[in-house]
Amino acid sequence: MTHRESRRQTLYMYLFIAPWLIGFLVFALYPILSSLYYSFTDYDIIHPPKYVGLANYQEMFHNDLFWKSVVVTLRYTFISVPIQLLLALGFALLLNQKIPFRGFFRTAMYFPSMVSGVAMSLLWYWIFNPSIGLFNYVLSWFGISGPSWLMSPDYALYALMIMSFWTAGSGMILFLAGLQGVPSSLVEAAKLDGAGRFRIFLNVTLPMISPVLLFQLIMGVIDSFQVFTQAYVMTQGGPNYSTWFYVYNLYTSAFKEYRAGYSSALAWVLLIVVMLFTGLIMKFSNRYVHYEGGGRK
Amino acid sequence: MSTIPAAGPNASSSLTKPRRKIDAVSIASFIALVVTTFLMLLPLFFMVSTSLKSKKELLKFPPTFLPETWQWSNYKDIFETLNFGQMYANSLIIGILTVVGTLLSSALAAYGFARYRGKGSNLWFMLMLSTMMLPYPAIMIPQFILFSKLNWIDTFLPLIVPAFFGSAYNIFLLRQFFSTLPDELFDAGRIDGCSEFRMWRQIALPLSGPALATVAIFAFIYSWNDLLTPVLYLSSSDKFTLPVGMSSFTSSRFRIPPWHLLMVASVLAMLPIVTLFAIAQKRFVEGIVLTGIK
Amino acid sequence: MKRKRMKKTFALLLATSMLVVLALSGCSGGKSAGDVAPAGDSDTGKSGKSGEQVTITHYTIDSEDRTFIEKLIPDFEAKHPNIKVKVEKAPYEQFDSKLQTLIAGGKSPDVTSHYGYGGFAEYYNKDMLLDMNDIIKEDGFKASDYSIPDDLMKIYTVKDHVYGVPVNMYVTLMLYNKDMFDAANVPYPPSDYEDKSWTFDKMVEDAKKMTHVSDDIAKTQYGVDFTWSERDMRPLYFGVEPYSQDTWTNGGVPSETHFDSPDVMATYNKLFNLILKDKVSPTTEWSKSVAGQNGDAFVTGKLGMTVSGSWSLAGSNDFPFKVGVAAVPAGGNDKVRSVLFVDPLLILKGSKHPKEAFEWIKYLVSDEVQEKSIDLSGGNPPVNTKAAEAYYKHFEGIDPDDVKKVYEGAVKYGFESYNHLITNYSQINDMFINEMQPIDTGHKTVEEVMPTIQKKVMEIIKR
Repeated sequence: MTHRESRRQTLYMYLFIAPWLIGFLVFALYPILSSLYYSFTDYDIIHPPKYVGLANYQEMFHNDLFWKSVVVTLRYTFISVPIQLLLALGFALLLNQKIPFRGFFRTAMYFPSMVSGVAMSLLWYWIFNPSIGLFNYVLSWFGISGPSWLMSPDYALYALMIMSFWTAGSGMILFLAGLQGVPSSLVEAAKLDGAGRFRIFLNVTLPMISPVLLFQLIMGVIDSFQVFTQAYVMTQGGPNYSTWFYVYNLYTSAFKEYRAGYSSALAWVLLIVVMLFTGLIMKFSNRYVHYEGGGRK
Repeated sequence: MSTIPAAGPNASSSLTKPRRKIDAVSIASFIALVVTTFLMLLPLFFMVSTSLKSKKELLKFPPTFLPETWQWSNYKDIFETLNFGQMYANSLIIGILTVVGTLLSSALAAYGFARYRGKGSNLWFMLMLSTMMLPYPAIMIPQFILFSKLNWIDTFLPLIVPAFFGSAYNIFLLRQFFSTLPDELFDAGRIDGCSEFRMWRQIALPLSGPALATVAIFAFIYSWNDLLTPVLYLSSSDKFTLPVGMSSFTSSRFRIPPWHLLMVASVLAMLPIVTLFAIAQKRFVEGIVLTGIK
Repeated sequence: MKRKRMKKTFALLLATSMLVVLALSGCSGGKSAGDVAPAGDSDTGKSGKSGEQVTITHYTIDSEDRTFIEKLIPDFEAKHPNIKVKVEKAPYEQFDSKLQTLIAGGKSPDVTSHYGYGGFAEYYNKDMLLDMNDIIKEDGFKASDYSIPDDLMKIYTVKDHVYGVPVNMYVTLMLYNKDMFDAANVPYPPSDYEDKSWTFDKMVEDAKKMTHVSDDIAKTQYGVDFTWSERDMRPLYFGVEPYSQDTWTNGGVPSETHFDSPDVMATYNKLFNLILKDKVSPTTEWSKSVAGQNGDAFVTGKLGMTVSGSWSLAGSNDFPFKVGVAAVPAGGNDKVRSVLFVDPLLILKGSKHPKEAFEWIKYLVSDEVQEKSIDLSGGNPPVNTKAAEAYYKHFEGIDPDDVKKVYEGAVKYGFESYNHLITNYSQINDMFINEMQPIDTGHKTVEEVMPTIQKKVMEIIKR
């Protein structure tokens, strides 16, 4: 790249990202910096914040609810994110074929992601009901007497994971959108070479949709580290702290315990950890993710 | 602009062979689809069935699958219980403006991140990602202070204006799509004397139909179902959105919630999203045929 | 053409951002929180016009039984032309977070109550509440003029300073399923608190006759669900006090608690034995699966008796069976058998118009409005003793005489709910629910769990 070309690139980059950049400076920067500041203070929301240095950060390590929330959140992330991705990709591949009622199937798959939260939670109470729920009814066909799901400390977290699979539809949409960018010429060429379905998927389709895959992986990690609503609405962090998620802990610290300072410190630790995960994924993905565009080669 | 391919009617299907051959794999996958679809549509069945029950029937144990008496009047009652029409209109205004704003601004910013390698682009990109990593409860209070200094409390502005400055999620998403567009297209455009903005408008956007449709759907649904932000920023009842209104059904600690009415509201609230999706999903079918470019 | 438009947009964006940066520079540091009113507030704008008109905000839950106050506003405003009342609402789940955000953002409401997770003691200890003594003195307000009993006024008076005026009073009562009693041929329990035959043991005996446990959950029914108050308060029913006496005089901060004492543990064993040994009460899991989305298994008709707040009366008309109300049986505590849930109206410290806010509070507790509110709210119990008579008659299908006896007995043998009186209560309650869960399922014993609870309660109180 010549010097002039590089200046041209920089100029256009800033012109195009200006809407976001301005929005960031205007709407996001102040709240973000404030929360960073709060994290070094003792702030009960009613009285002005008092600077306490690193005290909030030190306290975390001696707080057993903090550690509980870390374990719960990591378990959830490592199990549910990969499964969600696989399900979404699987459905997308199926529904990218020419099959009857394709539009209907797509709409149906995406349906649970469109419904409001309250309606869904009502449904889940019923599905997971230990005595009359659908899940244990189906299990009973196989002679299994099902657990009490949301009411059991051993299974509540899994119940919430299963719930998250119902929203694999959004992931499917993204993959579908990605699959439309796979040039059929490439697929035809591979076929002429005598490649089977699986080979084509591995060598042609997968590289072409790898940017979408990367996107979903990163967003999956960011989102699952921030699981909150399910724990707040369905289980209130219980039973026996089994769904005491990180952000649930953070929310409780802020609005039940009136400790906005400590809560902000929790938020910043989360930010750093998720940033590390994202950085790792990005670094690792450089080798595998295939961008057709030259701008970023 | 002769080099730009037109959107063709035929989607590229990466897995099926050109002749539709029915084999064991197809049949198995079709069955899997039917079963999954059944599971995915359970909420719909449940919503509709509950929406037609009477208040007394809701208390039954074990619960009934279908209403004993189909109480269609519930669909009339909702308009008397809630200021439903007004809430619907509010949600629509906010939702539509959010979609317009998000599409415009995110597509611009994403293009900037995807196609140009300027100084500091990586830094800004990471910063943008990091804005998604701070949980909302952590910035709720300072954000409220900010909007209240702007005198935006009890207006739709805090719900709409930020969308016009791009959402990190959608910028990231579109950037991934713009990055997959072949360079040759833009080189050709440059030779034709297109300005950078025109290339965005006439090459990148038309080729990203499915991605833009996805962003539109996501942005609309997010805004449509969002509860926390409107609860925080709206205080006059006539400005309430659907989720805020619906939450009033379950807000009494002392009364059994009128689930039937809540489900009526949920069913009615779903209609615009399902319509939007049914229209938008066609975009995925009419994908872009890039054959012959390379 | 297009490029021009883009330039224009950019110019606009830039201008906006500059404006905002300017606006922001006025609030650096974020220390202005609660007490400083931002300039250009709507109120100041209004006062420029006619006279001294002010707007006060009443912050409440967005549900029919709370928002009915909106219907009272026109009448109030007609009587007080200088005061405008605005009702600000939030869903129950967001009540606390919105309130705190409003306060932090300098938009504190004027009047509210502890309708969220936190209770009065929490608000008091966080210094959120206005001491009403001066206003009361200036105004000449006397609780007796509003037929508010003195002992109810005392609940929200700390060290002779009034911080809240009671507006509604719920009590704990027993609801029973008449159909189940009839089927088992058991006589109905009495509504009279002075009936000495009605004891805890008698209740267990009756409950045994109605309990049928079957493999088919649809056929299973239990005699009683004794959910008396929150978990930490239950020892009091048997006459054991887990919190030290100073708790009730110093604003809800106990100097000591005794959750690991043998006395306290004995009471918990007695209660858990209803489930584990006597088997007349359901497990939490059974209750939850039968209650489903309604949150209360009693409404499905699978429970003979339940101990519950008087708010359950409001929905009793819809229950698919006949309902009666009875006294809470005597459990060995001569003074306390019922838990009172008195909701106060509070003025927040951030209020800019406390006097006008107090006018509104006085209006809400006046005889006429208290009586009118019963119907408007769909059955909220008034604190006003004159309006109480109308309340007793409000519930179709339930004998007003029984409601009256149960209410009067409950007040005589009542103690205000701990959840209003003890600091950091929502944390204590969360902790109890989580720590006690293994006892309920039989995985741990009371003796194993209580020492942990004792330690954690003390930690939470010290926060």
